[in-house]
Amino acid sequence: MIHISDLGVHLGRSQIVHNAAFDALAGEITVIVGPNGSAKTTLMRALSGDLPYTGTVSINGHSVKHLKLWQMAAMRAILPQATSLAFPFTVHEIIKLGLTSGRSLGSAKNIAHLPEEALELVDLAGFGGRFYQELSGGEQQRVQLARVLCQVWQPVVDNQPRFLFLDEPVSSLDIKHQLIIMEIARSFAKRGGGVIAILHDLNLTSMYADRVVVMHKGRVDAVGAPQEILTDERILRVYECALKVGVLPAAHVPFILPQSAVT
Amino acid sequence: MKPAALHSKQDGRKGRADGDRSFLAKIVIAILAVAFAVTFLFSLAAGASDASVISVIGSLLQETRGVPDALSVRDSIIIYDIRLPRVILGALIGASLAVSGAVMQGLFRNPLADPGIVGVSAGAGLGALSIIVLGGSVFAPVIALLGLYALPLAAFSSALLFTFILYGVATRRGQTSIATMLLAGIALGAMAMAYMGLLTYIADDRQLRDLTFWLMGSLAGASWMKIAATSPFIVMALLISPFLARGLNGLALGEATASHLGIPVQRFKIIAIIAVAAATGASVAVSGVIGFIGVVVPHLLRLAIGPDHRYLLPASALLGGSLLLLADAVSRTIVAPAELPIGIVTAAVGAPVFLWILLRKRGILDL
Repeated sequence: MIHISDLGVHLGRSQIVHNAAFDALAGEITVIVGPNGSAKTTLMRALSGDLPYTGTVSINGHSVKHLKLWQMAAMRAILPQATSLAFPFTVHEIIKLGLTSGRSLGSAKNIAHLPEEALELVDLAGFGGRFYQELSGGEQQRVQLARVLCQVWQPVVDNQPRFLFLDEPVSSLDIKHQLIIMEIARSFAKRGGGVIAILHDLNLTSMYADRVVVMHKGRVDAVGAPQEILTDERILRVYECALKVGVLPAAHVPFILPQSAVT
Repeated sequence: MKPAALHSKQDGRKGRADGDRSFLAKIVIAILAVAFAVTFLFSLAAGASDASVISVIGSLLQETRGVPDALSVRDSIIIYDIRLPRVILGALIGASLAVSGAVMQGLFRNPLADPGIVGVSAGAGLGALSIIVLGGSVFAPVIALLGLYALPLAAFSSALLFTFILYGVATRRGQTSIATMLLAGIALGAMAMAYMGLLTYIADDRQLRDLTFWLMGSLAGASWMKIAATSPFIVMALLISPFLARGLNGLALGEATASHLGIPVQRFKIIAIIAVAAATGASVAVSGVIGFIGVVVPHLLRLAIGPDHRYLLPASALLGGSLLLLADAVSRTIVAPAELPIGIVTAAVGAPVFLWILLRKRGILDL
């Protein structure tokens, strides 16, 4: 479990995150939503150990402040919004970097096939020999996800759950791959791991989130199941946009929801 | 929606995975090792005196068995007291220049970072020159205290200082700006050159001849003494470098991601900077500024075996050593019996390659 209470984050002199508190459980997908500048990414960077913070952030009972980097790397893996690369690595080489940290699954022979399996998972089978820089933005994002998956390949190790932190994992993906990525997250949670994802798509959020954390101006506005949290009143107040939950457009306007995907 | 198993495993899995260049890299390293050994022996035999490769190898073998030497006394002196130290020193310096180039490029996440280009070599030169020129006066106590090691230590400390300044100026929040780095390098280099000019101005005639040759970069005057003074620094840096490989690979993804992978980025950067400064400082102290090995060698190797530092660093050491020995052989023979400073040879070949890299990277450099 990830436990956060009384979390404050300062950047320079200004306080970005105020008094945040929520838990993200293993076996669940916790989705952080909120308008631009509501401190979602800053919150996630504090959870990742990238930023100094006040208050409490713990992973499986261990404070992030006191964990060594390599210990954290064995407990959670982080997908950043975008990754630019300094040198011409192949896709396979990038994904293999995920295997160099955390606790791997034993001998080199046992893990040699993981990069290819991870590539198949993110629907990039056969891309191993391509150069990362030659891929499109969406493909690069999926390569990074494959790398991150290799870092925490097994969702549970020694009875301890591991976590995936995904910062806007579907931001540059088409609808098919949005669904593929969210299914990967769901499968990771079903097998006992925990997922914290930042999403902008409220439909995708209501479809996949077990728990939603709404951020507003650096504060946690609400935490709960999507059906409790995503209300007209809250969306108006947080997003400053008068939207109605569950209202269909006029009959002649096509609309496509991820929920309609045939599984 | 079934994400997995959309594609069957039609490739049969008998070969290596697509994009896995580690096997190729190992073969290339093996070839480079052989090439290095051949170059080493060739350099030992080449020169104004005509001791042949066969007789050199024969002599080396007999020496170890205690059999009387087949070479003449003159040849034996040429080989053991002149060429062998020179060749060993050349190999060490070539390896250290190439490895420090590769480490610095990984650290700055930039294929153009090279101690020679960003002013760190000039910084090392400033330290070394201060000892050469002022060793008899201001720095006399330093020399009395450190003896043999005063020169490489001075070069090392000023290289270290320059690298930290460069890193501090060019890197903000984990992102190194390429333009800022190159411009800061120009400024630092100019500063070092100004002080070096001042030192040159106050040098006496004897010092002047020494340091002119030294400034152009040269392996002439290699001796066992110089090897003793510099090899601890170079060997230390070379021995540390394999342990830097994982961190440099992680750093290629950015500092944040590197630390998410469990790499202690801050501590790692300091160790890498010290290794680069030690290798650069020691090399510059003994042979002056030899440019372009550090940028050309890792670049060529990245084209051949990819940027994985676990292979790039040892391959750079081997290719750097071989190339510098070849350049030295050219500089010794092209105007024999006189010799050209080796810095002229490496710059004449290396600068066009550097321009070629720039051309290829044009447009995508400022990511």
